[in-house]
Formats: sequence, C-alpha cells, structure tokens
Amino acid sequence: MNAIQIIVFGPLLAAIVAGLGNRMLGSVAAKTITTAGLFLSCVLSWPIFLGFLGGSAEASVTPVLHWVQSGSLTFDWALRVDALTAVMLVVITSVSALVHLYSWGYMDEDPDQPRFFAYLSLFTFAMLMLVTADNLVQMFFGWEGVGLASYLLIGFWFRKPSACAAAIKAFVVNRVGDLGFMLGIFGTYLVFQTTSIPEILAAAPGMAGSTIGFLGYRLDTMTVLCILLFIGAMGKSAQLGLHTWLPDAMEGPTPVSALIHAATMVTAGVFMVCRLSPMFETSPTALALVTFIGAATCFFAATVGTCQWDIKRVIAYSTCSQLGYMFFAAGVGAYGAAMFHLFTHAFFKALLFLGAGSVIHAMHHEQDMRFYGDLRKRIPLTFWAMMAGTLAITGVGILDVFGFAGFYSKDAILEAAYARGTELSQFAFVLGCIAALMTSFYSWRLMFLTFWGKPRWAGSEHIQHAMHDAHVHDDHDHGHGHGHEVDGTAGYHPHESPLSMLVPLAILSLGAVFAGFVFHDGFINSEQFWNGAIAYNEHLIHAMHAVPLWVKLSATVVMLTGFGIAYAAYIRDTTIPSRFVATFPQLHGFAFNKWYFDELYNFLFVRPAFWLGRQFWQRGDVGFIDRFGPNGAAWVVAQGSSYAKKVQSGYLYSYALVMLLGLVAAVSWALAAG
Amino acid sequence: MDFAASLSLVAPEILLSTAGLVLLLVAAWAGDGASRAISIASVAVLAACAFMVAPALCSGAMGPDTVAFSGQFRADAFASFAKLLIYAAGGAALIVAPAFFERVHAMRAEYPVLILFAVLGMGLMVSASDLLTLYIGLELNSLAAYVLAAFLRDDERSAEAGLKYFVLGALASGILLFGMSLTYGFTGTTSFEGIRAALSGTISMGALFGAIFMLAGLSFKIAAVPFHMWTPDVYEGAPTPVTTFFATAPKVAAVALSMRVTLDAFGGQVAAWQQIVIFAALASVIVGALGAIGQTNIKRLLAYSSINNVGFILIGLAAATPQGASAMLVYLAIYIAMSVGGFVAVLMLKDADGAPVEGIAEIAGLSRHRKVLAACLAMVMFSLAGIPPLFGFWGKFVVFQAAVQAGLVPLAAIGIAASVIGAFYYLKVVKVMYFDEPANVAVGKSDWAHQALLAIAALFISPLGYLLTRWLGALADKAAAALFLAA
Amino acid sequence: MIGIEHYVVVSSILFVLGVLGIFLNRKNVIVILMAIELILLAVNINLVAFSAFLNDLTGQIFAMFVLTVAAGEAAIGLAILVIYFRDRGSIAVDDVNRMKG
Repeated sequence: MNAIQIIVFGPLLAAIVAGLGNRMLGSVAAKTITTAGLFLSCVLSWPIFLGFLGGSAEASVTPVLHWVQSGSLTFDWALRVDALTAVMLVVITSVSALVHLYSWGYMDEDPDQPRFFAYLSLFTFAMLMLVTADNLVQMFFGWEGVGLASYLLIGFWFRKPSACAAAIKAFVVNRVGDLGFMLGIFGTYLVFQTTSIPEILAAAPGMAGSTIGFLGYRLDTMTVLCILLFIGAMGKSAQLGLHTWLPDAMEGPTPVSALIHAATMVTAGVFMVCRLSPMFETSPTALALVTFIGAATCFFAATVGTCQWDIKRVIAYSTCSQLGYMFFAAGVGAYGAAMFHLFTHAFFKALLFLGAGSVIHAMHHEQDMRFYGDLRKRIPLTFWAMMAGTLAITGVGILDVFGFAGFYSKDAILEAAYARGTELSQFAFVLGCIAALMTSFYSWRLMFLTFWGKPRWAGSEHIQHAMHDAHVHDDHDHGHGHGHEVDGTAGYHPHESPLSMLVPLAILSLGAVFAGFVFHDGFINSEQFWNGAIAYNEHLIHAMHAVPLWVKLSATVVMLTGFGIAYAAYIRDTTIPSRFVATFPQLHGFAFNKWYFDELYNFLFVRPAFWLGRQFWQRGDVGFIDRFGPNGAAWVVAQGSSYAKKVQSGYLYSYALVMLLGLVAAVSWALAAG
Repeated sequence: MDFAASLSLVAPEILLSTAGLVLLLVAAWAGDGASRAISIASVAVLAACAFMVAPALCSGAMGPDTVAFSGQFRADAFASFAKLLIYAAGGAALIVAPAFFERVHAMRAEYPVLILFAVLGMGLMVSASDLLTLYIGLELNSLAAYVLAAFLRDDERSAEAGLKYFVLGALASGILLFGMSLTYGFTGTTSFEGIRAALSGTISMGALFGAIFMLAGLSFKIAAVPFHMWTPDVYEGAPTPVTTFFATAPKVAAVALSMRVTLDAFGGQVAAWQQIVIFAALASVIVGALGAIGQTNIKRLLAYSSINNVGFILIGLAAATPQGASAMLVYLAIYIAMSVGGFVAVLMLKDADGAPVEGIAEIAGLSRHRKVLAACLAMVMFSLAGIPPLFGFWGKFVVFQAAVQAGLVPLAAIGIAASVIGAFYYLKVVKVMYFDEPANVAVGKSDWAHQALLAIAALFISPLGYLLTRWLGALADKAAAALFLAA
Repeated sequence: MIGIEHYVVVSSILFVLGVLGIFLNRKNVIVILMAIELILLAVNINLVAFSAFLNDLTGQIFAMFVLTVAAGEAAIGLAILVIYFRDRGSIAVDDVNRMKG
C-alpha cells in the first residue's frame, strides 16, 4: 500500500469507525482513533511535500479503482500527487491534525464528541479526495463531500436555530456555485470528450479561440468553461457575490471554523483555479474576471471586517479578504504566489481562529469583543499565539532580512499585480494595498480590543451566567461580587486553555512565524518545484523582481499606517471610533451591515423564492395536487365507504334488489352490445 | 368408456359420500361425544381423497381418459388442482372447529359430516362437465353450507346468517337454474361440450340470456359484486370455523366452476361475457376495499377482503387465456393460505374467559402481549394487501401479468390502483395492533391445533413461499392446460 | 296452437313473480320460501317444455332432480326458519337485520 492511500483513506476509516461506533465506542476512543489517523496522515504527508521541495519527487498517479464506464465516458478513481497536491496535503493534514488535537480541549464538555470527530475526519477525507483528484468528476465528488461535511459541522449544534439556518445557508449558496461548477464540468466533457485533468490541460491551448453555443449565443469556448468553473470556485471560496454564507458559518464550533472556513475548504476554489491554470491561461477574459472578483472581494471583506464586533466574524471577513488576494494573484498569473499565500494563510488563519477559540473558551463563550479587554496578562500564552498570527497576517517584516509568513506571500501577490502591468492588475494592486491597510487596522483592532484596555466583561450575558452558576454552587463568594464589578470583571477570572489546545497554538505559531521565510523561494521563484503542476509564467517572475522599491515597501507602509490608526483609535483615544461613527454614519452603516448584501439577496432572491414556493405550496400543492390528488382520493374513498355501508342495509329485500339490479344491468348491457 | 373406468375416476367422490354416510350413522348412534373422533376420521378421509386426486394433477391428466359417465364428470388435472385446495380448506375447517365449539358445548357430530358433504358437492362442481352435475354439486354444497351457517343454533347472529344465506342462496340458485333451462332450451343439450359446439356461431338471444343468468348465479357463489351482499353478514354471523370454510373451499369450487362454464361451455363466446367479468372484477375490487374501510368487526373486514380478492381473481378470468387461468389457480392457492391464516388468527383471539374477540378496537396493542400472534396477523394483512416480500404479492403479480399479456392493460392498471385502497384497511389493522394503546382484551390462550395451522399458513405466505413459485406455477400451468384442452 | 314461446313466457312470468316475491315482500319469511318454490317451478316448466319441444329426455330428468333438490331445500329452509324463530321470536323480514354495514 502506498503512502498516499494511507493518507487519504486513513481519515475515512477513522471517520467510519468513530461515526458508526459513536456512543458504543465512547468519546475517548473515537477521539483517539480519529486524531491518531490524522497525525499519521500528517506525518506521511510532510516527506512527500519536502520531496517535491527538494526536487527529488516526481508527479505520480496511484489508481484506486475503475469508477465509471458508460459509452465514451470513462474515468477511474485515482490519486494524483504532484507539487500542487503535495502543498495541499501538508496544509490539510497538518491543520486537520492540529484541529483534531485542539478539539480534545475545546469540545471537552460536548456530549456528541464522537460525531464531531467523525465529521472532522470525514471532511478531511473529502478534502484529500478533492486535492488528489485526477479527473473532474472525482474533484466534484470531493467538492461535494467537503460541502456536506461543512454543512454537517456548521449545523453541529443543531438544536441552535441560528446554527441550522447558517448550515442551510452555506449549503444553498454553495449549490449556486456548484451549479456553475457542474455546468463547467459538463461543458468541459462536451468540448474535450474526457474528464481527465491532464488530458484536458494538454488539449486546452488547442481549444483557445474556438467558440461554443451557450444560452443561444456563440461565445469563446474557453471563456465560457473557465467562467463556469470559476463560479464554482466563487461559491466554495466565498468570493464577492457568493460570500454571504461564510460569516454565518461561524455558528459552527470554532475548530471547524479554523479547519474548514479558514485553512482548507474555502481554499478549494483557489486550488481548483491553480490546478486548471493552463485552462484559465487560454482565456484572458476569464482571468480578468478572476482578478476583478478577487480584488473586489479583498477590498469589500476588509471594509466589513473593520467594524464587526464578533471576534470570529472579524476573522471570517479577514479570511474572505485573504481569499480575494489569492484569486487576484491567480488572475494576474501568479499561481505560485496564490498557492504560497494559501499555504501561509492556512497556518496563520488557523492560528488566529484557534486563538480566538481559546479566548472564547476563556471568556465562557462570549464572542463579542466589546466585552473583552485586558486579557493580555490573564491568558498570556493565547495572547502570544494571537500576536504571532497578527504579525503574520498583517505582514510584518523587513525586506531581505526576516518577515512573518504573510509578509512574503502578500508582498509577492502585490508585486505580481503591479508587475503584470495591465490596467486591471494595477487596479487590483491599489485595492490590495488599501485592503492591506485595513487588514492591519482590523487585526490590531482585534488585538487591542481583546488584550489591552480595561476589562469590560461585566456587561456580558455569558459571563453573568457563568458567575450566576458559580454563585449557586458557591454561595459564600457572594460578598465579593460587588467589589469586582467596579473593575469590570464581574468577579470572573478567565482561565488559560488546557494543554491540548495550547500545543496546536504553539505549533501553528511556528508556522505563522517561519512558513514564509522558509518556503518563500520554493514557492515563488522555483519553476522546478512546481514542475508543470501549475502554469508558470517566467516573464512575470522576472518582472516581479524588477518592481520599483516603493512597490516592495508599500505593503509595509500601509501595514504600519493601519497599525497606527488602530493604536490611535483603540489605545490612545478610545473615543475616536464613536466620533468617527457619529461623523460618517452612512459609511459606517454601509460597512457594518456588510454592504447590505444579505438585505439585497433577501429582497432579490430569498423573498421571491419564498413567494414562488408559497404559491407552489399553497396553490399548486395544497390547493390543487393535494385537493384533487391524495385528499380528493381519500375523500372519494371515505364517501364511497360510507355509501357502501349504507347500501349494506342488512335487509334481505335490499340485498335481493341489488342482485336483481346487477342481473338486469348485465342483461341490458348484453342486449345493447349484442 | 365402460362403467368401471367411470367409477374409478369418481373414486374420491365415492369415498367421500360413503364416508359421509357411515360417519352420519356413527354420529347418530354415538352422539356428540364422538364428534372429535368423527372429525379426525373426516380429516383422514380428506387426506385419503387428496392422495387419490394428486396423481391426476402431477401427471397433468387431460383428454378423453378423464371423462366419466358419458361426459357428466371430468377428473382432469384442473379438477384435481381445485380439489386439492378444497380438501385442504375442508381439513382446516375440521381441525379448527373442536376448540371453538366445545367452549359453548356446541360441538356436534354433524359438523364434520356436513363438511364432508359440502366438500363432496364442491368436488362435483369442479369436476362437472354437464349442467346436471353442476347443479347437483352446487346444491349439495349449498344445502350443507346453509346448515353450517346456522350451526350455532342458540346464537342469534348465526341463525340470521343461516337465514340470509339460505334465502339469497336459493334466489341465486333459481337464477342459475333459470339460466341453465334457457341454455338447455336454446342449445338442446346440457353437456358443456355440446353447448360449446352449439354456440360456435353467433349466439342466440335465448342462449345469451341463459349465459348471463348462469354467470349471475355463479357470481353469487364466488361473492362477486353485485352478488356479494350476503357475504359480510354471513361471514360475521356464521361460527368462525364455518367462516373459515366459507371463505376458502366454496370460493375455490365456485371460481373453478365459473372457469369451466365460461372458458369451456361458453368459451366460444368470450365477447359475450368478458365485459361483464371485467365489470364484476373491478366492482369487486373497489366495493370490497371501500366496504372494508369502515368495519369494526374483523370477521366482517375479512369478508370484504374476500370480495376484494375475488375481484383480483376475476381479472385473471377476464384475460380468458391459459396464462390467466393458471394465474387464477396460483392466486387461489395463495389466497387459501392467507384466508386460513387470517381466520385462524381470528379464532385465536380470545378474552380471558376464552370467549371469541372479534372487534378491531379490542385487539389494540395486541403486539404487546401476543407478539407472535400479532406478527402472524400482521403478516397475513401485509400479504393480503399484496406488499412484496410476502407471498400475497405473487398472486396479484401473476394475475396482472396475465391481464397485461392478454392486452387488458387498463384493467390491470385500475386493479393495481384500486389495490392501494385495499392496503389502507389492511394496514389499519396492523396499526391498531402495533401502535395503539393496548386494550388488553385478547389475552386468552390458544389451542395448539390453531397454532400449528397458523404457523403453516404463515410459513406459506412468508417470503419463503417464493421457493414454491416454480412448482406451484408448473402445477397451475398443467391444470390450466387441461382446462383449455377440454375446451 | 300453443308453441314453445308461450311456455317460455309463462315460465318467465312465474320467475319474475317469484323474484318480486322475494324483495317486495316485507312481512313474512314463509312468503319468501314460497317465492323460491315459484322460481323453481318456472324453471321446471321451462325444462319440461324445452324437453318436449326438443324431443330430448334430458330436460325432464333435470326437472326431476330440481324437484328433489327443491324438496330438500324447502326442508332446510324451514329448519333454519324454526331456529331463527326460536332465537328471535319473529319471522318478520324487517327484523332480519341485526348484522349490517
């Protein structure tokens, strides 16, 4: 058995055992099995990745089974491993293993732990299926599999209505994207007569310039296909327009947010675009769209992130924004930079989420940053981990010396955008810089609100509940209660998280600090590493190195500016934010309400859909089908039954009459017919 | 054909009549104390008869060698198939009776004798190849049946059942006889072969009247709509062992007789009766289902169920093909098992004093304290509803298959749709037994004979029954071939 | 000249009278028994008439059987009626409806 098979199917096996074993197995066994499976996958993944990095490994395809053979449509189930897959393998297995470990502590009090861990492992399997796909159908299988796991995990606390709603929203919005993806796959099969990715990529350049009939128009084949596929990517990666599910997905447990909605699943769209990059390269129109949507998302999400109060939502919008960076990097042709940012982002964003989870854990499930403050000394380990993540995401670093992870990847993206030199890429560069400023601002805002200042816990309902529960158990403590309320702590003492949560934080911190520095050259500058796994633009790489110094420094400058604004507003003079809001209420309202996307969709799609559904339901189904169908039939049967009972009167003469009527009817019929 | 050969062909009937007469004498001298012994002897006689008719079925006997008494009687594979079912049903009626009647001290020695004579009459019916034999057989069966229906002399309902059965049965006999007299008058013969030959061209008005009157009279015996009105009342009022008998053996005999009359005597005039049979089939399926829905008495419910099932059997008759006939025989065999199972299960429903329980409301929650019984009854119900894993489905399937092959697609479609209505009341019984609050009425102990019989019936209609499909189908095909060769 | 038609018409009238007797009569079950006899009589007239008309003895033999069976049927009918009367104290047709529906 191949290592890759163990990597992919280990999590599936663990998920099956834990999921079916469930209560029978008990939570400790389930947790052990799944976590052990993931660590095994992780340990096996790193050598593969390092092999590609060192240039010693070759791309390989491991067949699993013949899957479908129907007419001219044939494809096998095979595990493809190349540099691109290897990157995803380490990201997925590492983050997943750490999240599994983290969940030991985070989900400790949950009664449904086997289910949770089974879902986590199932998700990991589906994600691995996606990234090892050798054909589009297998990729779609993984694509839907992660969608399912995401749905299950967002709705893990299914007794909470908001969680159910968020799960459904995520599923439905993703279906919109999936429709595009499916149409893209169908179209690709139509054009190329195969679903095998290598064959498609090989044939793609030959198809450039051909046209295809779509919705009654003759359109450029590759543009149509790429845009359809990209719509799928937009759904999965929460790009502007199909992003609305991601913030709501924060209803799921925080480890889920870290694994699925930061590090892995949401990057599937980026992965898909990179995997199919030779295809996208044949259509400048599609690439322009990718660039535009990416840049717009990057900017949009950053603006929204600046004014959210929920710690997880800030990070969620931050994720959305960072995904925008990846897309516009891909759009300008810097697939290596996109993958690099995906790689570094996975570490620092997972770190931020897990750190936030640790904060939430410490604050008794309070997620509103307005009720945090002064946590720096109370949960110092979490603080330092979050600090590492913040330094990484804001891109702190000194050129040519050392930088945190985001420094390298984000700079590479901005440089590429500048170096590409088209109008659209310049536009993307500008938006990217503004977004970087806001990234710095909201990241530091998060840090300052959470870890600096005075404690503001007293207003939190969650904390009050915690204290109330504690008082019930511990009555004599009541006397001290009033004294604490003066300092805003309400007598609550945040506690540092258990070791199982701190170890993943520590490991991810290492990643956030060093991932950029260590792997920078391999990802950005080395064609040998990618070795044909993605489209490699030699010219662009040279142009990137030749950009003016101000471009290289611009990211650092805006980062410092953002930090400065945040410092001024949340440390120096904490009245600035409220004064700003008072001065520009529309602007703030626009960003705070997420550009009114939810309201717009509600008006445009949800309400008409509800109206239409209600019409079908009330008029069509209840009023027509039920009335004349099942209910009507039931009514007829009931009437017939009561009539039959009435005829069966019990009297001999009526029985004889019925017999005679039957006889007369038969005779009449025979006479009439004969 | 010489007289001795004829006698050997009617050997089972001779044995039955002799045994009946001898046992009647025994009953007269020994009194009711001997009733169990007489019952056992009767069962033995039936078993012996079964062994006597079985070879004709297995060898697929047909043709001139099977005709006795100058065309009055025919002992072919078809008759043997029907007789085996009749003997089995008669045996079941004998086995279940003592436990039921002894509780009310009504186990009289006449009971097994009457059953024997009824079985004899039915044997004559299915072997009849002449109107005279037909009439004698039918009346022999009917007269015994009237008495059986009123067998619980002190029970009002039983007496009423006997009276209703008698009056309506006599009316039906009159209609049948009138039809036979017309047929005789307009064809000049009473033998099926002669009638068939005489009706080879266009049918005369008188003969058409005769055919329809005969069909009407026979429809009464098989309880097809609109000649079904007596069924619910008689089934409810008659003692349950008698109902078990009524629901099974006479059905087989009357259906087989109808097949002989329609496919043999009037086989050349299919167009004259096919539409009427189709109407009766659909009306039976629908009225049987509708009538059953509002019932509160389980025997009455099963009566409507039998009307419903007759409708399905008639769909096979409407096909007027050998496949149709074969399908009817298969259906009959399965139906016998389901009916015996159903009524034996009803017999086993007793309250703490051992009195019979017949109300559907009273078996609520039966699954709690009588698990096996409830499961068997549920199986019977599912099977009657024709739900696939059970054998009842197979009967419906072959019948519909035959109808479709004969080009009667609309009939099959309507039949299938109507069977959905039937599923409703069968499943209602299951729902009452399994999901309603226990009524804790039917708690009495059951007789071992009942248990054994129910077990056999349940085994037959269980999915294991499908192991028999090839064998059953082959026998039914032989019987149908014999019927159509004669025709 | 009295032909076969006349016999058939007479027997048909008798048959119809017999049938009507069964379901128009609501008083007495004994009347029903008589109506049944009427029907059988109609049949017998038919059989004998056809037998004579066809020069075929079968019809007359059949008529003998019908007479015999009719005797047995009447006996059994009366017996059941006696049982019924003992239980219910009435033989009014309108009373025979304990079971219905």
